[in-house]
Amino acid sequence: MAAEMQMDTESVQDLVGSKDLAERLVPGCNGEYYLTVGEPEFGPLATGLASRKCVLIGLFCTEEFTRDVRFSLLYVFEKKNVVLIVVRNTGPAATSVARLFPSASWFERECRDGFGIEFEGAFDERRLFLHETYPEGFHPLRKDVRNVPVVMRPSVNVTDEYPFRSVTGNGVYQVAVGPVHAGIIEPGHFRFSVIGEKIFNLEIRMFYKHRGIEKLAEGKAPQDVVGIAEAVSGDESVANAAAYCHAVEAIAQTAVPERVLYIRTILMELERMGSHLGDQAGMLVDIGFPLGASQFLVLREDVFRMNAVLTGSRFLRGMIEPGGLSRDIRKRQLDELGQFIRELKQRYRIGLKIVLSTSSVLDRFSPTGIIRKSLLRPLNITGPIARASGGRVDVRINHPYCLYDRYVPAMKPLNDGDVLSRFTVKASEFLDSLDLIERLLADIPEGEIKTPPEIRDGYALSLVESARGETLCWVWIRNGTVERYKVRTASFCNWQAIEHAVQGEIIPDFPLINKSLNLSYAGTDL
Amino acid sequence: MVNSLSCLLKNKVTEDDIVRDEEIEQLGREIQREIDVVFGRSLAIRELDTGSDNATEIEINNLSNPYYDVERFGITFVASPRHADVLIVTGAVTQNMALAARKTYDAMPSPKFVVAVGDDACTGGIFKGTYAVLGGADALFPVDLKIPGNPPAPKEILAGLLALMRGAGKTR
Repeated sequence: MAAEMQMDTESVQDLVGSKDLAERLVPGCNGEYYLTVGEPEFGPLATGLASRKCVLIGLFCTEEFTRDVRFSLLYVFEKKNVVLIVVRNTGPAATSVARLFPSASWFERECRDGFGIEFEGAFDERRLFLHETYPEGFHPLRKDVRNVPVVMRPSVNVTDEYPFRSVTGNGVYQVAVGPVHAGIIEPGHFRFSVIGEKIFNLEIRMFYKHRGIEKLAEGKAPQDVVGIAEAVSGDESVANAAAYCHAVEAIAQTAVPERVLYIRTILMELERMGSHLGDQAGMLVDIGFPLGASQFLVLREDVFRMNAVLTGSRFLRGMIEPGGLSRDIRKRQLDELGQFIRELKQRYRIGLKIVLSTSSVLDRFSPTGIIRKSLLRPLNITGPIARASGGRVDVRINHPYCLYDRYVPAMKPLNDGDVLSRFTVKASEFLDSLDLIERLLADIPEGEIKTPPEIRDGYALSLVESARGETLCWVWIRNGTVERYKVRTASFCNWQAIEHAVQGEIIPDFPLINKSLNLSYAGTDL
Repeated sequence: MVNSLSCLLKNKVTEDDIVRDEEIEQLGREIQREIDVVFGRSLAIRELDTGSDNATEIEINNLSNPYYDVERFGITFVASPRHADVLIVTGAVTQNMALAARKTYDAMPSPKFVVAVGDDACTGGIFKGTYAVLGGADALFPVDLKIPGNPPAPKEILAGLLALMRGAGKTR
């Protein structure tokens, strides 16, 4: 362990490039490193990090983080198993890094809406989560803005409407879809520019569901924020609650009991199973193959019912809390889960065989909606989508939490990056989750389910692999209450991949590609 | 060459129900009876998400899985509000969705019913009184029935729809 930590330190020092900066590195509570830099140092450092192939996995703003400085921008960089947070103290204007790190573009727009920070040299200065009816100069995440209803603009002039990128030329026309879609789906707007049936360009517009999650958490007692974390995205309730609790526990250096780690890991894998099943069913529904879809829909309902038996909630809600669990799971129910998992393995293989031996399915799935590997790093694409495009990224393996250091999931990336690869990666991950749960059930110890929660002031970053990919959560507790809760779900970054995946495809394949990427609107819009 | 006689004699290529839930069968039959009388055998529902956390959508989608398969009771989820009798609203109404939600409601022909599904749609839930939301669905238009829950299970949603049918039958 000591040798490993030594290695970590060395590589983070290599990452920052200069000896002077390396000496100023401060270790955080949860394995991350902080480096506060002045404005002249920031530019060269960012360029250096880009040349050393770091990924910008998060960027957010917070107030009064450094004494006598109003705004601090926190840039979260990742390379392999090292996480470096560069704290950039800034005024109301800063230079953009979106040309070095394309994933910064949405992050910067988010900071601009929330805090009013202007980014010089940004290639996209449109609003992000505040749509045009929000008044000018309104920045809800600033501390001096109270969380109360705001007077909206009564009407919006045509000139103030959101300007979509326009593609012009002979035979190019636009197809506008949403925000309200034809199915039972969340709202978002898709603007296609097509030539005939071929998609020439797609621009997405999200944030119709912006509910002010981050502001809502501020000023609350840490244990009261778990419910808010669960509301980030319904089918990622466990991942978001766990990410939040891990941060709070890391700040207080709370060691949770062993049994808690087992149960939390089981819950996370159950959530992944439900999500992957729903996803696979969805892909089959979208190509009009109900026989295949039903197999997975039945299994998913069974998983939901099992969830309710274990926790009282079909979405596994209300279980995880700072310091442990709200309730234990009895032995009889765990035995029932074991039996269920064994049967599920057989039943799942039957469904999978039906699907993968049907030529019309393969014909629609491949080669459709390709995401190239070269997009993964610039856009910070993570999760099964990345692993279907040759990316070897999985938080469970690169930054193990709970019991994933002892129960290591398999990493089986595919390289084609199409819908079929995503379907297949999810299938192998599903079977892998079943194996993990079986092994966890075999070893689960008796014991306490809670360490009395201690709340301490401080801040920590935590990363969790949700069913969709890397979830980033940063919590700052000040005077016993939550000062800042930043959450960036995998979908926030993964959404941007869809604009690339559909190019050259036809509009009828869009729903299939969209489903195969399984993106959460709620988790993006916050 | 297929022998037509053997087709008659051979067993049909069908399987037993892979799933069957008696409680749902019972509830479904009761709903079907009401739909037959009140809505002329077909109830068309349009779902509108005004800011949910997606759990409620998942449960509404589940109504179409083989366990529930509500279409056999006469319930269809339609693509256009113009075809809908009932608008199911999920999630608190966000500022960013207010205009689209209003347009969806206005596009429905009368008589129309609105059902709020889930705590957030019923009252605004944890988001009530904040900068980003207007409140529950009733902040925008009249709501005929509220089905609370975080999220309500498919059975609870069905039970709610039965209550709506019965209420609508009385006012006819």
